[in-house]
Amino acid sequence: MKILLSTFGENDLEKVVQAMKYLPYERLVLLGRPEAIESKAFDNIRRLEEMAGHDVVEEELRVDGFMDIVDEISDALVRHAKDDRGMKNDIVLNISGGDKLMGDAALFAAFRLGIEAYHCDEKVTKLPVLKGLTAKDRFTPSQVKFIRGIGGQQVTFDVLVNSISPGNRLPVERVMRELRKAGLISTNVKSGKIIVALSESGAEVARAVRAT
Amino acid sequence: MVAVFGTLGYRPKSLIPTIRSTPDVDKVVFYCGADKNDSDAVKKVAESKKSVLDYCRAMKIAADAIDLEDPFDFKRITVKIRGDIRKHKREGKEVAVFNIAGGTRPTSSAALLACILEGVPTVYVHDLTYEEIHLPLLKMEYSQVLSGEERSTLKALIKNKSKDLTEIELARLVGKHKATVNHHLKNLIAKGAVRLERHPLDSRKKIVKLEESTELLLGDGD
Repeated sequence: MKILLSTFGENDLEKVVQAMKYLPYERLVLLGRPEAIESKAFDNIRRLEEMAGHDVVEEELRVDGFMDIVDEISDALVRHAKDDRGMKNDIVLNISGGDKLMGDAALFAAFRLGIEAYHCDEKVTKLPVLKGLTAKDRFTPSQVKFIRGIGGQQVTFDVLVNSISPGNRLPVERVMRELRKAGLISTNVKSGKIIVALSESGAEVARAVRAT
Repeated sequence: MVAVFGTLGYRPKSLIPTIRSTPDVDKVVFYCGADKNDSDAVKKVAESKKSVLDYCRAMKIAADAIDLEDPFDFKRITVKIRGDIRKHKREGKEVAVFNIAGGTRPTSSAALLACILEGVPTVYVHDLTYEEIHLPLLKMEYSQVLSGEERSTLKALIKNKSKDLTEIELARLVGKHKATVNHHLKNLIAKGAVRLERHPLDSRKKIVKLEESTELLLGDGD
């Protein structure tokens, strides 16, 4: 099924209609704050969809922090990417609706997950996201395992060796050096043990890994 | 040389905290613009721009205020900002951070997009507290996820974008077998980078067209 997801604010009727006209879809999902979902503009879109025999799916965004919004939009994208039977849906995202923070967060989520995305206003611009390619794809499977192994906290290098390649430190050491060079992790020595933690950029990669 | 980039709307306070918090700033580059039919907006943006320029002058920091002809033209702004970032990098200047808090919505999103494509650290300033919020660095290095063959196919298409190339003509152009080019094109179509269209003069043939966004992706220097 083709699904169009769009960020949405109370004054964004025209932007969403533009997206509806330009991008073919079978189901419309609007991502917005509660006040936008209760607005006249939303009612108008619902009416248009009812004429086509469909309903609008609403996804309420109730958080304020930038990364929290990115995470909520990512969650919605992942949820709609598959139907109830686990079949793949074809999803596209319009980022032109809603406030500045929401639009930017949607753009960030599109790149994180490799979702086809557009900015629909008077002009329609396709964003340069390569479909299906995510922030995770820049890394080798061993690097992804290492990042996943750290999780949200600091861990000792020994714990990582045990979970990634028990009894074989050398390949894990190589991955640690690569990720440190890329600025994704930091290391320090405490009581003779190497402690590994994710940097801010590393934490974003970890979020992308979790989301995909 | 350390440069701070930013987008500016009505509020100079959305940009100045970043100039203050960045060590050894030598240059500030900011993008501003308002709907020309809205005289109130034009006036407010002009006042805001003057405040930032006054601040930079007082701090002895060089400043470039770049007036956007159309602050709602998402693609054009992205191309402009990305080009400017690349120019700074080529000249050996460091872009320390890009503040995307001010300006119109398309201007802010365009700046974020340029930062993702160029790997520039990005910051927001909170509307009420003026506290800086650093966004995680998200750089999509597509050169690492496109194969060399895919990249050279895209480059050939960019170079010849005015021509209606069929698969066979493209294969001839890049000096590869048709089947090889067909394989790469299938991958590029799946990634949304190119599409096939019916030939304008011969409906039996298909021509290979670059998606507009792919040019934005590869930028001017690739």
